Amino acid sequence: MARMLRSVLHNAFSKPATRPFPEAPRAAFEKARGLVTFDCTDCRFCGACALKCPTGAIRVVREERKILFEPFKCIVCGACLEACRFGSVQMGPERRKPVYEKPVEVYTKPEADKPATPQDRNE
Amino acid sequence: MSEGTSVPFGPQHPVLPEPIQLRISLEDENVVQALPALGYVHRGIEKAGELNDFQQNVFLVERVCGICSSIHALAYCLAVEAVLGLEAPKRASYLRVVWMELHRIHSHLLYLGLLAEAFGFESLFMEFWRVRERVMDLLEMTAGNRVIISVCTIGGVRRDIDAEQARAIREELPKLRDEARRLVDSLLSDYTVRQRTVGKGTIPAALALELGAVGPTLRGSGVAQDMRMAGYAAYGELEFRPVTFPDGDTYSRTAVRAEEVFQSIDLVLAALDNLPEGDLKVGFKGRPEGAALARVEAPRGELIYMVVGNGTKNLERMRVRVPTYANIPALLTVLPGCEFADVPVVTLSIDPCISCTER
Repeated sequence: MARMLRSVLHNAFSKPATRPFPEAPRAAFEKARGLVTFDCTDCRFCGACALKCPTGAIRVVREERKILFEPFKCIVCGACLEACRFGSVQMGPERRKPVYEKPVEVYTKPEADKPATPQDRNE
Repeated sequence: MSEGTSVPFGPQHPVLPEPIQLRISLEDENVVQALPALGYVHRGIEKAGELNDFQQNVFLVERVCGICSSIHALAYCLAVEAVLGLEAPKRASYLRVVWMELHRIHSHLLYLGLLAEAFGFESLFMEFWRVRERVMDLLEMTAGNRVIISVCTIGGVRRDIDAEQARAIREELPKLRDEARRLVDSLLSDYTVRQRTVGKGTIPAALALELGAVGPTLRGSGVAQDMRMAGYAAYGELEFRPVTFPDGDTYSRTAVRAEEVFQSIDLVLAALDNLPEGDLKVGFKGRPEGAALARVEAPRGELIYMVVGNGTKNLERMRVRVPTYANIPALLTVLPGCEFADVPVVTLSIDPCISCTER
């Protein structure tokens, strides 16, 4: 009885083991694998990332100097990150937000006056 | 049997996380025959492994199984390293042990929770999974993902565990051990659980060996066979004795897994204490030519990868022999003679992983 009372009191006054998810989601770990983005400032469009990608989520069009990235094929393994010698691939800890359509992200070399990348496009 | 009853157990059944059908013939309440029907989740991964680049296959084989994924990657990497004549650096071997044992802890806690749920002991199920969630957090903190952690690569590992992460693991695991000990004691000493498991689905040691059972199913019959004794990765340098229980019933198999949780915690801590400095991976040139076999201990038993390379970037053949495949004959042999009400628990006691089995 005394043991039971201890458990009852413990359960009544302790905090829940779960997190209040939708209101306060847990902060991502610093080294978590998340969002993959490209920064084409130093990119040579060599295609090493596309070659290493196990799912074919990256296509590099060398002539047009473009990277086409399909985030919903990406398995966030980080192989592209290790393949890139120019530091053009970044991976942050945040997760991708849910969307209604599967986009193809287009990354190009930023011009001096318009730094706008990426432009989302639906194919 | 004309007057017997035939009951399809599965492919969808509350105790089975994955689809397998057992066609069970009953005589009154007793099982007289159990026939398996497999093939619900075949994905053709072995064939895909022949079409992919051998380095990309590491990410593919991790997706064979959702629970022991990184152990599949380790087995594949060991096989390819054997073909290429590579040896992973010391630090990489120790880090591999850390991650593989964390994986084993979470797999066994998952099993213990599912078993508790199979009896209808749902609060214990949630308690086990609450503890398991903290192991998942450790995996995510060190490797970046919760389950498919993608740490192994050919020639080493892709991530490091720094001093701060090692400290966090050292702080968390002793707390986790205390909590798991409390839960395991309440599972194994509970009257109802003992009534439902002791003497159910008994596999004698001789029969288990004859049928080629592996892993906790074999060790639960008192046979001390564990692939980690072969000393792959850094297991040869860490002190460790396989856990065995003599009775061969569902209770023994559960007790083996429960004790292995604590053994794995000790192994993680020992590997972190002895973690040598050094490189994380060795570079290599060339393409695999020749054949090699790697045998590792997955949470469910011995896992075998055979890799045949032909000097191109694609493999000639990749063969996977998973532990559940070896344990199903033992299960089918012990089911006849059980009562029908015990079928779910006995089936669960080999911890079947159907995604592995069908690949």
